[in-house]
Amino acid sequence: MNKLYLGGIIFTALMLLFTYMSVSGSEGGLHGDIVNMLAVAGAVALIIITVFVVIKYVRQMQTDTADGQLADEKWDGIGEYLNELPMGWAIMFFLLIVWGMWYFTVGYPLNAYSQIGEYNEDTAAHNTKFEAEYASITGDRLVEMGESVFLAECKVCHGINADGIEGKAANLNKRIEAKSVKLVIANGSNNKLLGVEMPMPDRNGLFNANTSALISDAEIDTVASFVANGMTGAGADVFAGVCASCHGSDGKGVDSVAPNIASFTPALVANVLAHGKKGAIGEMPKFDRLNAKQKEAVGAYITNLSK
Amino acid sequence: MFHWLEKHPFFFAVGIFVTIAFAGLVEILPNFAQASRPVIGTAPYSTLELAGRHVYIKNSCNACHSQLVRPFKSETDRYGHYSLSGEYAYDRPFLWGSKRTGPDLMRVGNYRTTDWHENHMKSPSGVVPGSIMPAYTWMFKNKADINTAYAEQLTVSQFFSTPYNKPVPMKDGSTKIVKMGASTAEANALALAEAKVIAADMKDQDVKDAVANGQIPEIVALIAYMNSLK
Repeated sequence: MNKLYLGGIIFTALMLLFTYMSVSGSEGGLHGDIVNMLAVAGAVALIIITVFVVIKYVRQMQTDTADGQLADEKWDGIGEYLNELPMGWAIMFFLLIVWGMWYFTVGYPLNAYSQIGEYNEDTAAHNTKFEAEYASITGDRLVEMGESVFLAECKVCHGINADGIEGKAANLNKRIEAKSVKLVIANGSNNKLLGVEMPMPDRNGLFNANTSALISDAEIDTVASFVANGMTGAGADVFAGVCASCHGSDGKGVDSVAPNIASFTPALVANVLAHGKKGAIGEMPKFDRLNAKQKEAVGAYITNLSK
Repeated sequence: MFHWLEKHPFFFAVGIFVTIAFAGLVEILPNFAQASRPVIGTAPYSTLELAGRHVYIKNSCNACHSQLVRPFKSETDRYGHYSLSGEYAYDRPFLWGSKRTGPDLMRVGNYRTTDWHENHMKSPSGVVPGSIMPAYTWMFKNKADINTAYAEQLTVSQFFSTPYNKPVPMKDGSTKIVKMGASTAEANALALAEAKVIAADMKDQDVKDAVANGQIPEIVALIAYMNSLK
């Protein structure tokens, strides 16, 4: 046994000892912990293979003599043997070329990862799921959905209780405020509450059929509080004379002529969400990123609030 | 030739660099040029909006608010379409931000309006209960720096050919012309005209009076900038 083998055996033994010590000293130890046992098995295999391979090549360096035919060309004095191409290597090289062609033309183009692609797939999957689960919900479930959308999108202005946070936005617990009625009468309106352009004239176009004159300041005050009080109290005569011809005698609106000003309807709310609105308090942006079902749900929730 | 290169390692290294650099340029440049072009619907900032952008930067809004919507369903539901690189074509510098202490503002102009911003900047917790954003009351008093905004407009229009006073295509097929004044006085007049539109939707009487007197409080410029983020 020469020095090389002896060194190899001592080195192997030392490495195995260190491995055993470090593993058995660690948490879990060697016994009963499958991960530690696998790691040790791997380490043992690695150490033994390494030592064998090193010994083989050191032996070869010690004993080998060069033979074979040299090439004519020398690179900085270093020559090269003209050896046959190893068959295994040649086969692998050829297969690699074939794989490369497949990868460039088919493999990569058809399987490349795309972040936007993943987003599109996610969105499509979500929309399918949404359709399947919520497309046909009605009643309480629709109101529940409307509440969740309201809490996500609307409460920032209208407040958690939909009270408009002390006048910062419309109080949705009632259909309309007196000052909104006054503003609309004074300036006219075209807020697409019916979903289409349908202008209402300002006070210079509002005749009171009862008095055969333009609506007066006093009448505006009266009718504003009448509408704001939910179509009750004084002012029914002014409403009948001025507003009823378009908004209906009960204020519930007329299809494609004038919106309902007595109560909220889901369609009215959906139209506000689709087009936004500029009123007495300020401007509400449109929320066209909500889908049709979500708009319907918010409509149902808000209609439900003031019932 | 190869023999020669092997004997001259410096030129070999240069050759390798040129080869790889060329391949890189061919791959990267055409895509980059396409993606960095302004997308349709992206217009340069007007004088007042730019002044508002300076207010935004000055108060480090970008430390808490990002301006980048990532392509995830949860984000596009909340903020709108994911961001495209061409949308930042006129942002110098871009304000992507790195941390969302507050929400993303990339498209805040789509879902908040002037009066909401006014309430919110005065008292954030008044409209958003539990908000940790501080109130920015000084913006209602300090005056916006229109001259600096105009200087930036002049610079970018000359050095980067930012299309001021030129038609820019919009999403609905129309074109929009963002005006830039020919002089400081004209720029101030343009900014004031814009400010009047914003102030008309505001409620703070001091701000309304200031704008009526030809002054532009920072809040008006900031709101103009917020409304332009779409």
